[in-house]
Amino acid sequence: MTTPAVQAAVDAAFREEWGRVLATLIRRTGDWDLAEECAQEAFTEALRRWPVDGVPQRPGAWLTTVAGNRAIDRLRRGARGAELLEQAGREALPQSDTDEDAMPELFDETDEIEDDRLRLIFTCCHPALPLDGRVALTLRSLAGLTTAEIARAFLVPEATMAKRLTRTKTKIAAAGIPYRVPPAHLLPERTAGVLAVLYLMFNEGHSASSGTELIRVGLCDEAIRLGRALQQLMPDEPEAMGTLALMLLHHSRRHARVSGDGELITLEEQDRDRWDQAEIQEGLQLLESALHRRQVGPYQLQAAIAACHARAASAADTDWPEIAGLYALLARQLPSPVVRLNRAVAVAMAGDIEAGLAIVDELSGDSRLQRYYLLEATRADLLRRRGDQPAAATAYARALPLAPSEVERRYLRRRLQEVGGSPATSPGS
Amino acid sequence: MNYLLFIWADGMPAPEELAVMQRELPGWHEEFKRRGVQLFGRELDLPETAATVRVRDGETLLTDGPFAETKEFVAGFNLLECADLDEAIEVAAKCPISQFQPLEIRPFSDGLRLSEQVSAFAHEDDSAGTPYLLTLWIGGTPAAPIDDQAAIDAGQVWRQDLVERGLHVLGSALGGRDAATTVRVRDGQTLLSDGPFTKIEAFIAGIEVVSCADRQQAIQLAATHPIARDHAIEVRPFYRE
Repeated sequence: MTTPAVQAAVDAAFREEWGRVLATLIRRTGDWDLAEECAQEAFTEALRRWPVDGVPQRPGAWLTTVAGNRAIDRLRRGARGAELLEQAGREALPQSDTDEDAMPELFDETDEIEDDRLRLIFTCCHPALPLDGRVALTLRSLAGLTTAEIARAFLVPEATMAKRLTRTKTKIAAAGIPYRVPPAHLLPERTAGVLAVLYLMFNEGHSASSGTELIRVGLCDEAIRLGRALQQLMPDEPEAMGTLALMLLHHSRRHARVSGDGELITLEEQDRDRWDQAEIQEGLQLLESALHRRQVGPYQLQAAIAACHARAASAADTDWPEIAGLYALLARQLPSPVVRLNRAVAVAMAGDIEAGLAIVDELSGDSRLQRYYLLEATRADLLRRRGDQPAAATAYARALPLAPSEVERRYLRRRLQEVGGSPATSPGS
Repeated sequence: MNYLLFIWADGMPAPEELAVMQRELPGWHEEFKRRGVQLFGRELDLPETAATVRVRDGETLLTDGPFAETKEFVAGFNLLECADLDEAIEVAAKCPISQFQPLEIRPFSDGLRLSEQVSAFAHEDDSAGTPYLLTLWIGGTPAAPIDDQAAIDAGQVWRQDLVERGLHVLGSALGGRDAATTVRVRDGQTLLSDGPFTKIEAFIAGIEVVSCADRQQAIQLAATHPIARDHAIEVRPFYRE
């Protein structure tokens, strides 16, 4: 086999198998760092062996066996080795054979191996871990991103990200966070926590919280990939389906959201021919099968709202009354001021601008929205639609210094000029 | 794993809070004692009864009051023996106090050392000697590292000496601030946050309960602890009816 072909096979195996190999190794050794090092070595070994021996039929099984053997070698040399080896032995870790035909029935235990990945997801997303650490460790452990890649995605120095990962892993061990799929009474709450981490990851990619680049597609792709994996691992969980549908429906608009020169384009002004129809169809189908289960949760509702936009052939065809109704349902499940703000937009777009503005006015007193630029930006948009240009200009000018990214600030400046205001006093212009 | 559950407070509980606690605390104790998860707990006396001990250049410096100059103080603690952090979180979240005050879960990093006196202490029988809590605060002094493992290790020798003299009740080093989890319950929802409850620079690196003739002896014992040399030890009596 040629080297590029083998490299491609190893790359593919890495994308597919890294999380599985690592997840199984962590269960058997209980040592995250050891598991990570040995998994890494197994992939290096594949690069060396596969050109000579050929790519094995079940690359994942081969990699897990090699990584497992490395772990045994290291444990033999280590101080706590005997104790851990005894545990590993009870789990029937294969001894020294990388010939997959000679391997014990271990790898027929597909369920157990799949459960390992779920264990890994739930452990990485444990609510006692720092939130930024949950996201980073999920990307490192399940998606197989390197520390440098994660650091780039979050615009922090690599050393900072390395520290964040180490600290998160240290807490898992030191605080006694169990490596398991949570028991039934904890499962709904913890599943919501996992979905929140995936959606946070997606949003971080979809709308960069700082800096000039609005869409960091890498993070969106990883979040969707993990969302697919989770949906397969938890096929009966409608909210997992809803989250994946929601991410796909948002992702389908990525080429239409930002213009060639980096300007933010609102949903209303987007060229809908540029929406990814394959992703929309997949998202709509997922949403439909989720809703069939009749356990509606916040992610399904948000996906249903995104679906209303996806189905509309033009902005004018949008079913705003339906969206306003969905936001009302969502506000009941998720009593957040941001949800109510979105409902205000839907109510206004459904024809009642005054009612929309009244909701915005109510929200002005909410301390949680004091530094939230979309409150003023929404008020400005509604006032502009009502034809009240001077009041709209005042609101746009107030939103401008609060907007977190340059792309959003440019959008606000453009609107401000349209309604006859001047952005001269705002910072960053 | 052994965990310490710190109960934080910022004053006396309001009458309605007190009513909830009086109604629900016995059932909470009962449930987790039955499951073998809850070992025991004790309430501390008010923070103004505390003294803080530092030793600098061989001299014992004593200040009145608690170490942390914050409104919040540790009002008591419980000792847990749990399968894992999830079980410790369950205990904390079911504790009625968590509806009003934050509870901080800290693992004992080297296991928990219990002496013979612990049974009497657990039953609030203080006839053999008055128990005092020594809280080991690390950090906040530029002279010594925030991760002063050497001082913590030296504390084991100090503890062994007290065990032999029959003055030690319980105690151990606690996992660092990175191992801490704070639990609150609001509207029936369990809210977790990573890290200790207090956000001050110093943190509690361990606790020791000693049984003494009087406050003076407790302060003397604290002054001989290696942590007192570069850091600080808060000495506080337990609440008594």
